[in-house]
This record gives sequence, C-alpha cells and structure tokens, in this order.
Amino acid sequence: MDKTGKNKNTVLIIDDAELNRALLGDILALDYNVLEAADGETALATLEERWTEIDLVLLDVVMPGMDGFELLTRMNRNSWLSSTPVIMISADGSPENIDRAYDLGATDYITRPFDEKTVLYRVRNTIRLYAKQQALENLVAEQIMEKERSNFQMVEILSNVVEFRNGESGLHVQHVRLITDVLLQTVRRRCPQYGLTSAKIAVIANASALHDVGKISIDEKILNKPGRLTPEEFEIMKTHTVIGARMLEETPHQGEGDDGFLHIAHDICRWHHERYDGRGYPDGLVGEEIPISAQVVALADVYDALTATRVYKAAIEPEKALQMILDGQCGTFNPVLLDCLVECAPRLNRELDFHNAGPISSLEIHRVAGELLERGGLDSSRHALGLLEQAQERFSFYAEVTADLIFEYDRVGRRIRFSRTAARRLGLEEELAQPDAQTAVQALGSALPEIQDALDRAGENGPDVEGEYTLTLPDGPRRFHIRMRPLWNGEERRGWSRVVGKLTELDA
Amino acid sequence: MDLRECYAQLGGDYDGVMGRLRSEERVVRFARLFRSDENFQLLTDALAASDWATAFRAAHSLKGVALNLAFTRLAESSSALTEALRAGAPAEDPEQLYRAVERDYRTVLAAVDALTGPTA
Repeated sequence: MDKTGKNKNTVLIIDDAELNRALLGDILALDYNVLEAADGETALATLEERWTEIDLVLLDVVMPGMDGFELLTRMNRNSWLSSTPVIMISADGSPENIDRAYDLGATDYITRPFDEKTVLYRVRNTIRLYAKQQALENLVAEQIMEKERSNFQMVEILSNVVEFRNGESGLHVQHVRLITDVLLQTVRRRCPQYGLTSAKIAVIANASALHDVGKISIDEKILNKPGRLTPEEFEIMKTHTVIGARMLEETPHQGEGDDGFLHIAHDICRWHHERYDGRGYPDGLVGEEIPISAQVVALADVYDALTATRVYKAAIEPEKALQMILDGQCGTFNPVLLDCLVECAPRLNRELDFHNAGPISSLEIHRVAGELLERGGLDSSRHALGLLEQAQERFSFYAEVTADLIFEYDRVGRRIRFSRTAARRLGLEEELAQPDAQTAVQALGSALPEIQDALDRAGENGPDVEGEYTLTLPDGPRRFHIRMRPLWNGEERRGWSRVVGKLTELDA
Repeated sequence: MDLRECYAQLGGDYDGVMGRLRSEERVVRFARLFRSDENFQLLTDALAASDWATAFRAAHSLKGVALNLAFTRLAESSSALTEALRAGAPAEDPEQLYRAVERDYRTVLAAVDALTGPTA
C-alpha cells in the first residue's frame, strides 16, 4: 500500500469518545488517511462535503444527539451506502443491535473490545470489495446505458407513431412513463407484496410507452373525432386494448419469462382500461386479477389525461385532478395505489413540470446495475439487445400495416425508412442507406433546407414541427402538410439525431 | 512499576490488551489518555441531575473505553450500571452501582499514575 498519503484510502471515524477515536486512528494511521467526527451532526456535515473521497466509515452506535443508527439511516436515504461502506463498532453486541445495523445497511459490525488486526483486516477487505464492486458496476452500467439508450429510442419512435395519429400533445407517452416510474418506486417501498425490483420497474416504465399502441388500427375518423363518440364508435375505440395486446402476442418472443418486456407490454396494452371494481374493459377483471403493471399505467394514464391540455379541454390543476381520482370520478382504483399516488404527488408534479422524461437516468442505471450484480445476472445486455431487435421488428410491422405516409430519418447513420404506403406514393424504396438516401431525399426538392432549419429550431415551442412544403414527386410537385418530431440523443442536447414524421397530401 | 504490574493493580487483563493492541508503547499512551476521558465526570453529573439518558450514554461509553483498554473490573462495573440505565429511569437507586464504578475508576487512575507519574 502506498504510504505517501496521496493514494491512501480515507476512513472516517465517528465516535463521541475521543479516546476511542484516537485508538482507532492510531491503528489505522499508517495505512489510511483518517478523518474524525465526535457526533452524528458533525459526521453528517463531513459526509455531505466529502463523501466522494471517504472510502469507509467506522461508526459508533451510542452517541449523544444523532446516534449511529440514525446516521446510518440518513446515509442510506442519501444513497451514500452504495459507495461508502459502514462498519459499526459497539460495546453492545446484542443480536438486536447487530440485526438492526445490518438491516439499516451496515456492511459489518465489530464489537468492543476490538483488536488491531481485526480492525485492519476488516477495513482493508471491505474497502477492496467495494472498490471491485464499484468497478464492475460502472462497467455494467455503461453497457446497459448504451443498450437502453437505443432501446428507449425505438420504443419512443413507436409511441410517437401512435400519437401522431391520435393528434395528442406528444408528451402524453413520456408523461405516462414518468408517472409510472415514480409511482412504482413508491409502490415498491410501501408494498413489498408486489415483488417490484429496480429492473422490473424499468421494464414496466419502458413498456408503458406502448399502452395505446393498438390505436394504430383504429380508424382516424373515430380517433380524432372532435365531438363525443357514439356508442358504436366507443365500442370500436375500446378494441385498441385487445388489438395492442394481440400485436405484442404476435411479436416473436424467445423464451421470455413473465417479467419480460413483451409480456409486461401485453398486460399493459390489454388491461390499462380495467378498473379495480371490475367495471373496466375489455375483460372486466377485478382487483388483483389486474397485473400491477396495468394498474399503475391505468392510474398514470388517467392522471396525465386530467392534468394535460387537450384540444377539447384545458388542463386541470394537479390538486384538483388528484381529488377527482380519489373521489372515484375516473373509476375505481386499488386503494393502496391511491395512497401511493397521494404520497408521491408532490414529486410527480415537480418532475412533470420540468419534465424531460428523457431516457433512463444514470442514477437509475446504477440502481439496476447494482441489483443485477446482486442477482449475479449479467445477461441483461443480451436481453437489451434482444429488445432493440424486437423494437426494430415492430417498427417494420407498423410501417407495413399503416395507411399513413410515415418516415423515420436517422441523421447519424444517414438512413431513411418509409412506411409501405409512403414509399409507394413517393416512388422510393422503403429503406434507403447512404448514398441512395441522400440522392433520394435531394430529389424531393428545394423544401429540404427549410425543413432542416425548422427541425434545428424545434423544441422551444413543443416537441413537434409542422408546416406545408412542396415535394417533387415522379408525377410532379405536390403540396404536403408535414408533421415531424425530432428525437434527441440521450444526454447530449446539441442536436437531434433522428426524426420521425408523417406526411399528409393536400388537395389529393 | 511496569505495565503488567499496573494492570494487575487496576484489575485489568494485560495479556488480553497486548494480544489486541500489540504494543506496550501504544497501551501506555492510551492508558494515560484515559485520564482526560470525560465520560466519568459526565456520568457523575448526569446521575446527580437524574438525567438518565445522558447517564446511560456516558456509562456506555465508559464501558466501551474500559473494554478496549482491558480495564476489566471497570468494564464490568460500568456495564452493570449501563444495563440498569438502559431503559431510562432505573427501577432501583443506581447509587450502589455508581459507587462501584467510581471505586474502579479511581483505582485505574491511581494505577496509571503510579505507572507514568501523576502529571500525565
């Protein structure tokens, strides 16, 4: 070990008795940088300021003011324990105390009187183990991040396709995803019976984006009808649940378990209009017959529908929306979920305010990575890759079946894809890579720089860009209304990396 | 007086402390430092004020320090007092238990003084 002091690991000793601190410090001083704190409050301040450089904490249990257990709880709440291990030291070696320490997240427990060697070995081993774990976690997190980014983008493309047809704000899918995520984290804490894990929450949140995917097959006249639907039309509208579920059933799924993306997406599609009292559709499931994934997305769907602005209604204040849901005005929900919604509502509204339900955050990734490591399962990247392939498969499917003129342009890979109808109308191949893509697009005419400009300025006034442009087709110039959504690449906001769009031919 | 004799006089475990802390120099240094430990005074004041929570913490800390330095007799008497105070207001007057702690504490100080000189 390096003894110059620079590369030494740092240990924080927290004990109210000066003599104990000095004794531990004396034992450790040769191999470690030692910091001391005489009480919980001072320790907390030191940790807040320097926790990234503290490699291990030795913590006394009984202290005046904030005791060791309380400090441990605070550390846990601040997510410090995942990178800074804590070894408790106490003269009280009772099983209750030891249990409590481990329950609160301590790594180890040393009883007084301790001996020099035990302290040195345990400190050294714990620091090594954590360093190794950290390195592995970073590695896995990086991989997952990479895959999740592409995966998330594909799911987003799909859901955007659906929303284009719905004529909705475009934010709905992202909001539902965010609400689902926040709500599930609260459910996880309060209701262990649902067996939620970080990984599962991530899958459900991702799958929530597809909840209305079945609407792709609903007639646009019904979908975008300004007035009230007739009973017959409403019956047709209701089929979007079953149709979405069937689409997912028909997507090949190799050996995917009950927790797999497709399975969960299927449940969400089919049952996100079920209600806890059995009065929802399509199957009239009651209570816990409805999978928790669908229950949560149903609630998220309703909450966002109320608080968002729609063509036919203004946004409702979050407090009022919450009250309406609690009053049962949107149907009956699981009372436990309602409790969770009430609890996380402030956080929800804060995040919806800022909102960018952007791709999965790095903190989230680390949470997932940590759990994967705990379970010893590293085949998640394979899994994520599989999801990506499936997502591409699904895009092809929708592009094939929809009657809309839809395109997707990948700026980085310089590839362009058209729906079958679009390709036919424009007289182009369905999929074009460089250099054909460029030639083909240039042939469409002089409107392109204008479109590009509009895309670069997008984002300030909502997610979409719309306008009327002239495109040069084989049968001459035609006017099109084009609605496009640029997609931004993960963290970097320097420019859009992809765009999806829909063309509507004017005076066709 | 050497360190072994000092431990015999104060009712401590010389072999135990040497086995754990390894160096006589270190043990002597910390035995001297024990004089400046404030927990005994804190305990005395808290008991006088019937401040049971503080008394418990002080007795507990004193016990911890005594355990680390293998002041066995003091560790035992302060442990007994700690347990009597754990639940808050003690069922019986802790006076007797406190007297035992006080006696053992003074014995330790006297022995350490004899070892290192009272100026320590």
